[in-house]
Amino acid sequence: MVLFAGLGLAAAVAGSADSADKKPIVIAVPVGLSGVNSVVAPAVVQSGQLAVEEINAKGGVLGRKLELVPLDDESGPSGAVKAFNTAIRQHKADAIITMETSAARNAGAPIADRAKTLYIYTSFYEGKACGKYLYVNAWVPEQVVPPLIKYLSDEKKVKKWFAVGSDYAFGRGMIEAAKKTITGMGGTILGEEYQPLQQSDWTAIISKIKAANPDGIIYSTSGGGPNIDFMKQFKAAGLTMPVGSLSIDELTAEAGGNAAEGVYYTGDYFTGLDNAENKAFLEAMKKKFGANLKTPNSLSEPQYDGVYAYAMAIEKAGGTEVDKVAQVLPSIVFKGPRGAVQMNKQHHAPLPVYLAQVQGDGKTKVLKSFGLVDPGNQCPNLK
Amino acid sequence: MYTTELLDVITTAGVLYIVAVGLLLVYGVLRIINLAHGAFLALGAYAAVVSTGLGWNPWTALPLAFAVGVAVAGIVEWRVLRALYARPLDTILATWGLNIIVVQGITLYFGREIRFAASPISRAVKVGGTTYSEYRLVLLLVALVVGGLVWLVVQRTSIGVVARAVIMNEELAQALGINTRLVRFVTFCLGAGLAALAGALLTPLVSVHPNLGVPWLINAFMLVLVAGVSLGSLALVALLLGGAQVLVSSYGNPVLGSLTIVILSVVILRFRTITI
Repeated sequence: MVLFAGLGLAAAVAGSADSADKKPIVIAVPVGLSGVNSVVAPAVVQSGQLAVEEINAKGGVLGRKLELVPLDDESGPSGAVKAFNTAIRQHKADAIITMETSAARNAGAPIADRAKTLYIYTSFYEGKACGKYLYVNAWVPEQVVPPLIKYLSDEKKVKKWFAVGSDYAFGRGMIEAAKKTITGMGGTILGEEYQPLQQSDWTAIISKIKAANPDGIIYSTSGGGPNIDFMKQFKAAGLTMPVGSLSIDELTAEAGGNAAEGVYYTGDYFTGLDNAENKAFLEAMKKKFGANLKTPNSLSEPQYDGVYAYAMAIEKAGGTEVDKVAQVLPSIVFKGPRGAVQMNKQHHAPLPVYLAQVQGDGKTKVLKSFGLVDPGNQCPNLK
Repeated sequence: MYTTELLDVITTAGVLYIVAVGLLLVYGVLRIINLAHGAFLALGAYAAVVSTGLGWNPWTALPLAFAVGVAVAGIVEWRVLRALYARPLDTILATWGLNIIVVQGITLYFGREIRFAASPISRAVKVGGTTYSEYRLVLLLVALVVGGLVWLVVQRTSIGVVARAVIMNEELAQALGINTRLVRFVTFCLGAGLAALAGALLTPLVSVHPNLGVPWLINAFMLVLVAGVSLGSLALVALLLGGAQVLVSSYGNPVLGSLTIVILSVVILRFRTITI
């Protein structure tokens, strides 16, 4: 309370005629600070903090400062309900910009919609989440799966495939998308196997792969550890065919040492992207967070873009009124570390997609760029 | 033709045996289910991470893991469990609490993200017309050696005789002047040490994270419930249930396969007429 009184005094001294307008613009970030997303969540918050600090250092938006409010959604739906309600009722959030699990998003999005609060979702996901105030600036399967399959098929001559996934919605959804692309390109699928989430012994599936003898593998486990489990056992069994992954990420690959060496994967952000914006971003992150820096990654970087896109939309709309901001948001182009991102396709964004390969030391090397890839028809009922 | 399936079955049984033997030992002598078994597996796995971090030979992770397991178990038995033996239900609570403390301790120190432990062996060898993971074959050998050693200790040494006396009738053993407190202490330490050793042995197969013990604990628990307290029947049950899991996964699918151990355990327990 003392703090608020102090702020009011400062505003009075500054002689502002319209002090209500000088309130900070509140951006809530309900994110998995605990639970399965707790490995990546701190990096998401840091990306948001950097964007807010940079924008505020230039005087904020329309003379108002941005304020970032991280909240814990416990990586799941019940936590998301609490976090969204806290964001809207207690913090009077002007917008919610965050990376969450799909379950948390599905629980939180209706709350934001009812409260007429803009929600920019910054996590890649399985696609087809639509809402009047819901925007997405990260990839959907249509953007990363076809380029990967096409590369392995054209360059590595993989025609006969074996598909492996973890037995849950995202794993199965990614494999579905991969199968569609494979059959569309005239390839054949020799086998398709799913592993229960809690099972870490891949022996039976690996023996089936060995028996089928495919030209290449496409797999999609749950994030993190299972990627390394599968690759360790795959290699120990003496299998050497090319592997495309729909679930590995830079941090996991690096933590796995040489386990994932040679694995191909696609994405819209890699720390090794060679462009001025990315270098400036990484430099600024290092400077701001020093030893506490959580390595930026494909799940955390879009948060930076999301905050910038929102700030630019407010500027253009001339205020935080949600309908006006939502109306101009698709026209905003923010050129960030990933390249130019614009959420102009049914509330989704055509994105620059890159091919990368895990090296012997676990680090990821970007091999080529596919240019801007369209998200396809995600929400045909929206413009 | 069926070489791969056969190798899958026996190596899977070997892995299950290594993971469960420590739990069986504790259950047999102390009559408690050590719910912290999964945490000791994780401790062993992190011993391998530390050994990799120090640049040591990957094999040194094994004695290191065993020592860490014994040390932690020693303190816990001495300060906590000893007071609870008369209240079996409370030991379940205590070991589960220990599980949470150890896992959270690991999370605080190492973080939740996966960590890297170097593998001593990561190549495949030719066996009977097929290539197979050399490490899994080594694990089978380790299972046989560990199983043999534990059997020798229990059957052929005076410590073993004393332990068996405690299993059969603790009060009588006490009356005969056997220090049952020491027997319990040694057994708990040994069981936890074996669990940690198993954790280190798993690292070339799976990624290391604080909760890596959880899925293994469930299977080990089922195996021990079915096997009772005999090392021989544990080996048999590991072969039977592990084999069923592999075969159902191979000829059916892994989702069904993961259920086989649990379902078969329930069926066996329901219809088993003799108790071991």
